[in-house]
Amino acid sequence: MEKNQLSRRNFLERSALIGAAGLAGISALNSCSKKSKSVDYAFPPLLDKAPDGVKIRAGLVGCGNRGTGAALNFLAAGNDLELVALADVFEDKVWDCHSKLEKQKVEVPKGNCFWGFDAYKKLLDVDLDLVILATPPHFRAEQFDAAIQAKKNVFMEKPATVDPVGARRIIATSKKAESMGLTVITGTQRRHQRDYLETYRQVASGAIGEITSAKAWWLQSHVWFRTREEGWSDMEYMIRNWNNFCWLCGDHILDTHVHNIDVVNWFIGKHPENAIGFGGRVRRLTGDQYDFFSIDFDYGNGVCSHSMSRQIDGCANTLGEMVMGTDGYTNCKNTIFNPDGTVKWQYGYPKNKDGKSTGIVEVSPYVQEHIDLVTAIRTNKPVVEAERTAISTLTAIMGRTAAYTGQKVTWEDMMNSTERLGPEVYEMGPVDMEFPVPLPGTQHKA
Amino acid sequence: MAEKIKRKHYLIFIVGGLSVILFLALSKKTIEYTSTDEFCAACHVHPHAEATFMLSAHNSNRTGVSAKCVDCHLPPEEQTAYFLTRKAYHGFHDLYVFMTKDMDEIDWEAKRTVEASKRFVYEDGCKKCHTNLFPAGLDELGAESHLKYLRDPENNSCVKCHLEVGHYRGEKKLAMEETKVSPEELFDSPAVVAGFEDYAEQIPGTSVSFKMKAVDGGQFKMGSPADEPYRNSDEGPVREVEVNSFWMAEVEVTWNEYLAFFNATSSQGRKEAEAEQDEDVDGISGATPPWGAPDQGWGMGTRPAITMTHHAAQTYCRWLSSVTGKEYRLPTEAEWEYAARGGTSGAYFFDGSPKDFEKDGIWNKLFGPDTAVINTYVVYQENSPYRTQPALVVESNPFGLKNMLGNVAEFCLDYYDPQVYGKYPKGVVRNPRGPRNGMEHVVRGGSFKNTAKDLRVARRDFTRTQQWLETDPQIPKSIWWYSDCNHVGFRVICEYHPEELKSETTKK
Repeated sequence: MEKNQLSRRNFLERSALIGAAGLAGISALNSCSKKSKSVDYAFPPLLDKAPDGVKIRAGLVGCGNRGTGAALNFLAAGNDLELVALADVFEDKVWDCHSKLEKQKVEVPKGNCFWGFDAYKKLLDVDLDLVILATPPHFRAEQFDAAIQAKKNVFMEKPATVDPVGARRIIATSKKAESMGLTVITGTQRRHQRDYLETYRQVASGAIGEITSAKAWWLQSHVWFRTREEGWSDMEYMIRNWNNFCWLCGDHILDTHVHNIDVVNWFIGKHPENAIGFGGRVRRLTGDQYDFFSIDFDYGNGVCSHSMSRQIDGCANTLGEMVMGTDGYTNCKNTIFNPDGTVKWQYGYPKNKDGKSTGIVEVSPYVQEHIDLVTAIRTNKPVVEAERTAISTLTAIMGRTAAYTGQKVTWEDMMNSTERLGPEVYEMGPVDMEFPVPLPGTQHKA
Repeated sequence: MAEKIKRKHYLIFIVGGLSVILFLALSKKTIEYTSTDEFCAACHVHPHAEATFMLSAHNSNRTGVSAKCVDCHLPPEEQTAYFLTRKAYHGFHDLYVFMTKDMDEIDWEAKRTVEASKRFVYEDGCKKCHTNLFPAGLDELGAESHLKYLRDPENNSCVKCHLEVGHYRGEKKLAMEETKVSPEELFDSPAVVAGFEDYAEQIPGTSVSFKMKAVDGGQFKMGSPADEPYRNSDEGPVREVEVNSFWMAEVEVTWNEYLAFFNATSSQGRKEAEAEQDEDVDGISGATPPWGAPDQGWGMGTRPAITMTHHAAQTYCRWLSSVTGKEYRLPTEAEWEYAARGGTSGAYFFDGSPKDFEKDGIWNKLFGPDTAVINTYVVYQENSPYRTQPALVVESNPFGLKNMLGNVAEFCLDYYDPQVYGKYPKGVVRNPRGPRNGMEHVVRGGSFKNTAKDLRVARRDFTRTQQWLETDPQIPKSIWWYSDCNHVGFRVICEYHPEELKSETTKK
């Protein structure tokens, strides 16, 4: 009986896949049932430049290096794009960003520069069409919802959030955005990178057969940190060193490795059902996070993905993804291999003067995502990526929870979890929080 | 003539057509009329219906839009068949109630619950107007709740949170049920037992508790009659046996219980020339850490603990006695069978013969056995996918004990001797304890591995130490964990000494 049902479900999944392949390029296929695979043919138009159209005025929330970079990427996406407001929790960050932009000949009116925890609210009162959210991910869910309630289009950085409560909030706000016809692009730039997209298209049309397993890894040396300076309150120190505190950053399995996890979810066509894994802290100097994670994500029916993330100097450091299938495998980025390791297909990069492949796509994916954003707005074909990014972020959170606790963590656990990280109120000053490094399992008797 | 007939036909046709149209128009009018608020109000004279509706968000709101009774209290008209049948049902039901019942005697309060509302509020009605579950202004709680609803519409409903939106009675604001998980309470003392009755033992320093059932002693026929199907020779001769009263654990020792013991007593590991256990030493040194996963990866928690040796089980009992101040031990084989029978004398403590449940008869081979009864009482091969199950999934036997015949087999105190029943002295045997010496111990009750014939109350089995340690690669092999036995656990009993209990209570 059970066997029959299973094979019936397989059949349905397969026929859905075939059906979708038939519609390739024409329609987007949304998966309602999370358990079934979906083929994502909702490809962005991938223009070299956004079409001309209505002027789009943007405001930037989070004036750090990525925020400033994202704002410049936005301005490079097409004509009639303006940056008219800045907001950050720290005043010095705002003016620092302001002067960097000035050097790029971008003038933001000084009256539209705001700082403090509620700076984003003041920014939303400015006459804007679009908001760039690039603060530490802890603040994203709240700011994203406020932006959508204010009827703004949004570009927001990954990860979408730091905890399960935040992930569900992003998903709900994403549904609001869809119902309002707004566009939301999420900084998962591999999904806007031409070589990845073409490789995905190959895999989705059967180039490696049925997917049997995957691995994803982000192994790098240590990342930036700030030691505490005199005069900094607890809150100021933590936010200036946000990349090292779990409540602000979510740990690096979210912050960076979510890119790889997102690619695997994308290629496999669903999120994993559960995770078992481990991690630890051996080299970090500040904060409460781990330096390494090794997670086994179980997608059901025997399909697993091994996810590794590490931030330790002097190790075998590299990053990427690999997806294995019955008829071959792929690096997801640009090459399909036969089972014997020979190359079956390779993405055709632009060639240099000598006729050799440059190995890079025509348009930087960091700009491409903004071109796709502006195109969606100007052609009135709204795109909302927030839910899928929230799902990939929640996948990473599931892995993090598995490592922190030592337990097997299921998707259902995540959807029901009431975990919300961080203090109840945000104000500069002392913070009454403890930061024990997570210890999985229990201590055995001496 | 023919023309006349033709004309008559036309006439009939026209009149018929007109009357159909008239009928449809009238019935449409009727349906419309009977769907007006006035029509509803004509019968629904209970004083608050209208007043509370006027105050509710479905009438008194900023938009100026007001809902009608039928918007919520009938399915949407588009579901024509369902709409008409429900409309007819409510029409007749309400008319009947209106005619026959006294308005003051109706418990209106009881109808204001989520459960009751399912009978007269239609979710599709809600969703017909409220097409967007994620409006821009939806707050965090609303977003969480609506996502929960989308994920599981069966167990959630609109009115679960929005109970007062149709009729406002000054009730509390929207609230999602909060599931609070209270931190586990650690017991600081064991259970105090005042008399011979059921109690719940508490293991001090842990949050682990388990139920003990008081079993009144008595006389019974131990063993199986020669004509019992599938009987083995070691089950006889049948003897009259009497046992004293005792308490017996409702279920086999769970992993939660066994891990409390392991965590409290485990040792670092093998030491050079490990000394023999000295029973007189105060401290109890328990099991060495196991290799691999002693739960076989099936999960721990309330599943019965398995793979511990008979020696480990006895050490557990000594430890449990020391931390609770009571006398716990493994049951004797006689106590076990007495408790398992629960006053019955058949092959099982429930109705049915082993032949009914086994697959080897022609009938059962062809059609499969009727296992409805046995399924409710026993975890065995047919209903367990070859693994243990959490303790409480089955029904109890007449003494309130669960899993005596299934889930895992159980160690007894006695050494095993296939002829022991015949060796006991003549007459009624009192509290027999088996042979004085032996190599292997008695194991009773079936397990998740057995079929019906081996679940019989009288069936006897025994430990197979060598076989159960076959693949243990250590020399010497473990005295704590069986490497090759995953179907045996144990159950504790607590001795009952009436005189001690009395002196305890008089002391107080």
